Amino acid sequence: MTKRTLTAMVGAASLGALMTAAPARAADITLHALMEDVPETTIVEAMLPDFEKETGIHVEFQKLVYSEMHDKLVTQLTSNASYYNLLEVDFLWAGEFPEAGWLADLQPFVDKTGFDLKPFIPSMMDMVGRHKGKLYMIPMYNYSMGLLYRTDLMNDAKLKDAYKAQTGKDLALPTTLADYVELSKFMSANAGVAGSAMQSQRGDPNSMEFSNYLFANGGRYLDDNRKVVLDSPQGVQALQMYVDNIKNGAQTGALSATLDDTFRLMCDGKAWSMVTYWWMLPQVDNKDSCPNAAGKVAVTVMPGGHGESGGWGWAIPKNESPELQDAAWKFISWVQGKDIAVKRALQGHAPVRSDVFEDPAAVAKYPYYKQALEIVASGESFPILTYTAQYEDVLGRQLSLAGSGDATPADALKAAAQGLDDLMKKAGQ
Amino acid sequence: MSQAAIAARSDRRRGRDRWRATGWKFAAPGLGAIAIVMGFPLAYAVLLTISSFTLLHTRLMPLVGFDNFRTVMADVYFWHSIRTTVVYAVVTVVGEFVIGLGVALMLNRVLRLKAVYFAILTVPMAMSPVSVGLIWHMLLQPNLGIINRLLELAGVAGVDWLGSTDLAFWTVVFVDIWQQVSFVILILAAGLASLPKEPYEAAEVDGANELQQFWYLTLPMLRPVAAIAIIIQLINETRTYDLVYVLTKGGPGISTDLLSYFAYKRAFLGLSINEGAAVSFVLLLIVLSLTIVFFRLVTRRR
Repeated sequence: MTKRTLTAMVGAASLGALMTAAPARAADITLHALMEDVPETTIVEAMLPDFEKETGIHVEFQKLVYSEMHDKLVTQLTSNASYYNLLEVDFLWAGEFPEAGWLADLQPFVDKTGFDLKPFIPSMMDMVGRHKGKLYMIPMYNYSMGLLYRTDLMNDAKLKDAYKAQTGKDLALPTTLADYVELSKFMSANAGVAGSAMQSQRGDPNSMEFSNYLFANGGRYLDDNRKVVLDSPQGVQALQMYVDNIKNGAQTGALSATLDDTFRLMCDGKAWSMVTYWWMLPQVDNKDSCPNAAGKVAVTVMPGGHGESGGWGWAIPKNESPELQDAAWKFISWVQGKDIAVKRALQGHAPVRSDVFEDPAAVAKYPYYKQALEIVASGESFPILTYTAQYEDVLGRQLSLAGSGDATPADALKAAAQGLDDLMKKAGQ
Repeated sequence: MSQAAIAARSDRRRGRDRWRATGWKFAAPGLGAIAIVMGFPLAYAVLLTISSFTLLHTRLMPLVGFDNFRTVMADVYFWHSIRTTVVYAVVTVVGEFVIGLGVALMLNRVLRLKAVYFAILTVPMAMSPVSVGLIWHMLLQPNLGIINRLLELAGVAGVDWLGSTDLAFWTVVFVDIWQQVSFVILILAAGLASLPKEPYEAAEVDGANELQQFWYLTLPMLRPVAAIAIIIQLINETRTYDLVYVLTKGGPGISTDLLSYFAYKRAFLGLSINEGAAVSFVLLLIVLSLTIVFFRLVTRRR
């Protein structure tokens, strides 16, 4: 071996060692995120090249339907190295993931970069921000629920007269849950449409839907001391009205219907109302895809003043390298900063920052933002615990049993309350 | 016995032993692969059933004995799922066999375009159960689905196929039979095609009519093939998960809550992989029991 060859080899080895030891450059970093296949993801996805141009960090989204996401994420997060180094976390997992120790504390990143959390709507921060006082997520978008209804039927002279004749009251937007169910049944009997397009399939659909009835009637899952109060008189009454509406106000097949089914029904002009996510309004109010309903729909806060509120948050896996965690935080603070949030809102994003709801350009484009902000701000949350996903199944089963007449509302709600209590004890909460 | 005879027998035995040893050598790689691919996961699953492994406690130790079995057995919905699963498996397999045999007998007489019929029959079989579930979910949609629209055009009121506790179970059974019956038809048609012709010619000479030929010749001769088809389907149907997941999520109420779906919920929604494994182990025992009982029934009179 010549001296020159030896020198070259030592040089190459030193360079290799140096390159291995050197921190990864932004251009070398790729963030992988598992995302729900919904318009929100598409909106952000279209902006990824801008982020890469700005920071040199490449972001890849793998899109999946909601029902597949939990299992895939859990499998990855329990393995030694997760493929996903940027997480999109549903509020239903906002207890489970931190409790399992899978998420990094984001407060040090906030402190280091001076990221302003004040504009985030407090109810969203409570739901998909902090868990037991620690900041594990930054809210991404909300899916708070309100009442979507047909304005043309509310203004129909014949229906107004018939309602007055039958009830002695003027046909007006309901202010209580009882009024709403009464009106739904009236529309079903007199307007030639279903009074409510109900998504009462067992599991996530009926759990989310019933929660609106519960909150609207003054019921709660847990009291201020986190004691289970689901089977309170208000809760039982809410379930009685929920079952009554399934039987007498909803479309045929409500017990097997999902969000897609109810959307199609509303879009086809075959329902008067739908308890759903506020951002479904622009989708139904679209003359190209829903000509039978467009121009005849509006959204309002759930009668009774409170509906179910949900949302997604961004998080960072705990066991990633500091470089990747910094890159993930750079992305989160970029995508949830005001400028990008407004840009996203103008394309249909459901904001989590109050300053986006009040942005002049956004309000000009979406006049219903005032109602939307009210819906988000007044929303209440499904109980968040380690076993929330399992609780949805426990509750969904009892609601479905009540809806099918196989259990009385009182018995079903008692069993659902017991199930919640059992899971909270199992979780040590 | 002469010395020569003893030596000859000894040679034959050595030859047999060599032959047997060579056979084992050839089979060893395959058996090894099966032991790794099937044996290891099975052993691990059995270990999980007695472990404290959950998605929140990702360690096998400490072992907890039969606690996981006790926990799932204390759940009333576990027993309901077992009953529903057994009824579901029996009903779907009987349906598939009766329809499959009928169609296979008809196809056995078809002389022209047989390949076309078989090609059409394999279409449902080639589809994934999830796709089948999604397609039927659209077709059976009570308000906007094609089936109810056709019924309404015929003057019949639309039916709540998946939202009624009386009908949902039978609707899932129907969709399952629709997809799986092709497999039974193909197996039975192959069995029918391989039956010897001579017994039928003899029976005809003896004056046996078609029904008698079917009862005394076709069915007994088809029994081994039919047994295979039924056992395979019994195993498949007992494990049904996808259709329920897509069509009903176990509802309405608890009318379609099958054991596989129950196991999935324990493992992935309840984060208790150990309890999910315990339920799966019970499912395995049910499948084995049904298979043994049926195998005994079909081989008893041979």
